[in-house]
Amino acid sequence: MIDINNVSFGYNREGDTLKNINLHIGKGECVLLCGKSGCGKTTLTKLVNGLIPHFTENCRLEGEVVAAGMEVARTELYELSKRIGSVFQNPKSQFFNLDSDSELAFGLENIGASPEYMRERLKTVVNELNVEGLEHRSIFSMSGGEKQALAFASVFAMNPDIYVLDEPTANLDGEAIEVLRRQIGKIKHQGKTVLIAEHRIYFLEDLIDRAVYMGNGEIARIYNGEEFFSLSEEQRVKMGLRKLSKEIPSVSRLPGRKTGCELVVKELCCEFKGIPVFDPVSFSAEAGEIVGITGCNGVGKSSLMRCIAGLVKQKSGKVLLNGKILTLRQRNKACFLVMQDVNHQLFGDSVWNECEMSAVYDNRLKIEDILRAFDLYSWKDSHPMALSGGQKQRLAIASGILTDKRILIFDEPTSGLDYEHMLAVSRVIRKLAERQHIILIVTHDMEFLNVVCDRTIMLTAKENGREA
Amino acid sequence: MAEINKNGQIIPIDPRTALLLLLLVTIAVFSQHSFYVEIATLLVIFGLFLYGGLAESGLKFVLQFGFLLLLQYAIFPVAPKLFTDTFSILAAYARKVLPCAMMGAFLVKRIPMRYIVLAMRKWRFPQKLIIPLSVTIRYFPAIREEMGYIRDAMKLRRISGAARIEAYIVPLMFSAANTAEELGAAAVTRGIENPAPKTSVIELRLCPRDYVLIGCGIVLAAAAFHLR
Repeated sequence: MIDINNVSFGYNREGDTLKNINLHIGKGECVLLCGKSGCGKTTLTKLVNGLIPHFTENCRLEGEVVAAGMEVARTELYELSKRIGSVFQNPKSQFFNLDSDSELAFGLENIGASPEYMRERLKTVVNELNVEGLEHRSIFSMSGGEKQALAFASVFAMNPDIYVLDEPTANLDGEAIEVLRRQIGKIKHQGKTVLIAEHRIYFLEDLIDRAVYMGNGEIARIYNGEEFFSLSEEQRVKMGLRKLSKEIPSVSRLPGRKTGCELVVKELCCEFKGIPVFDPVSFSAEAGEIVGITGCNGVGKSSLMRCIAGLVKQKSGKVLLNGKILTLRQRNKACFLVMQDVNHQLFGDSVWNECEMSAVYDNRLKIEDILRAFDLYSWKDSHPMALSGGQKQRLAIASGILTDKRILIFDEPTSGLDYEHMLAVSRVIRKLAERQHIILIVTHDMEFLNVVCDRTIMLTAKENGREA
Repeated sequence: MAEINKNGQIIPIDPRTALLLLLLVTIAVFSQHSFYVEIATLLVIFGLFLYGGLAESGLKFVLQFGFLLLLQYAIFPVAPKLFTDTFSILAAYARKVLPCAMMGAFLVKRIPMRYIVLAMRKWRFPQKLIIPLSVTIRYFPAIREEMGYIRDAMKLRRISGAARIEAYIVPLMFSAANTAEELGAAAVTRGIENPAPKTSVIELRLCPRDYVLIGCGIVLAAAAFHLR
């Protein structure tokens, strides 16, 4: 179904992103592409769905890719799209319409299918994928997981022979991943060919026939499914892969340490348009403690954090630091939020300038010190937007620390990160805890949670604030 | 044939009828010199609001109109000159545009974007106009979402004054570039470039009530020119 012969590829004239790739995938096979960030797995998916070379400028492609009987480089994208469906990483930016019904029909409308066929087909899609809950919805009222399920359903509607999935779980919680797992099971059962590039692997057990492990733009090794999932823990870590089995949050490591500096959240409750987002939540955190906060998409984790940081007013309850009740403004001052998309919080025109903007007092030594601690000093003259994702994140943290913030809140700091980068983030956070910051981390990433957090609070839809 | 839209609301009339009515109402109110035509226009639109299940918001518009009449005929003649001079022009204009605003509100509240795009396609507006228009409208709410995040970030960093404007623009530009790229990739892999004529799940069909409404609109516009 997919034949990749002697392919080498570069995004520009010099340097190869992919080298000498040979891969043959039969009809009905489900193949995982894995490896560290930058190993070329996303690039490989683009070779198959035609984004390379059709949607990539100035690239250099050698060799031949044939998918569903079409030579990809010589076939128009809209022809390829009839038989090759793609689901991408970011649920926010793969919709062309503002309501779910239009989106489901979008692909079929583009090929000019008849209205009768479309109505029939959409009914089938909704039944087969059990996505009744997604009909007649506005895109803006959907959680990330629902959006990703809709993206999958919209591709499913076109009934392609090949599905190309590029890190589809990067922004999903455990439940949404389970939904995706069932959806993949469905298409596999229908005999479709599936190519999936992923960091998170555990949910693919029993689904994949082969796993292609890539490194430095080459295929390092191909495992069959069984072989791959029986890799030893040691081998997995050496390969830089995420856990092969599902993680459940483990319990407290260091309960009740007394340091004298304490954040207390008492019966906190917020409203959105008059509707309570979650039931009153109470918990406390000590200086130097790392508290994880988890729960399904849309359960109100982000609202809770924004409320603690004083960005939204609470309906009832209070936030105390060192025994003093904080007003909204004081909370703004005490807290720093490292956002999931750090692009929203970098405003300077150089790394150094970014830090200067934040520093409460003009202190070159302190800035230098912090930039060195975060491995950013050699980049001090670069523009923040020219940095890599991890560097941007560290710069945002640095700017928060320079503003003298005691409480640091992280919103999904590891979405889409491979094993090594996840470890790097957890090292940075550990370091912050040693500096006696109070750290709250909102995450779906159980593996990360277990690596870094001392304690986990699970927000549930009904009775909130249960501690695990 | 009333359809249910995404929020479970009823889509009361064909989008083409709504767009035509907006045009006809605009012609009527700007060329009329007769109080009766004005009242009739208002009543037709109010009827449409009732039909579309928007009684409350329709009533608000009617009350506003009543208030403007009261102002012009009962209060201005007896009010101090300064007050009258300041507000009379404003009141006269507000009264003129009120029916158009009301019709516009109806469109926004009851006709989803998708239907308006479809209407434009039926009227053979060029693709070159429809795609950018629908993308722009699609992008507005996304920008609002992003601005929300940036505002949060600024609050926590205490950025003020002129720096705020720059602080909005830089992240927005970068995220727009990213979004455009990702959106583009999603659209081309779903066949947006296919030259085949596009079809639609929804079929637009004008039914008697649409003809009645368009008829009303034409009568009003015609009356506006002839009745003095």
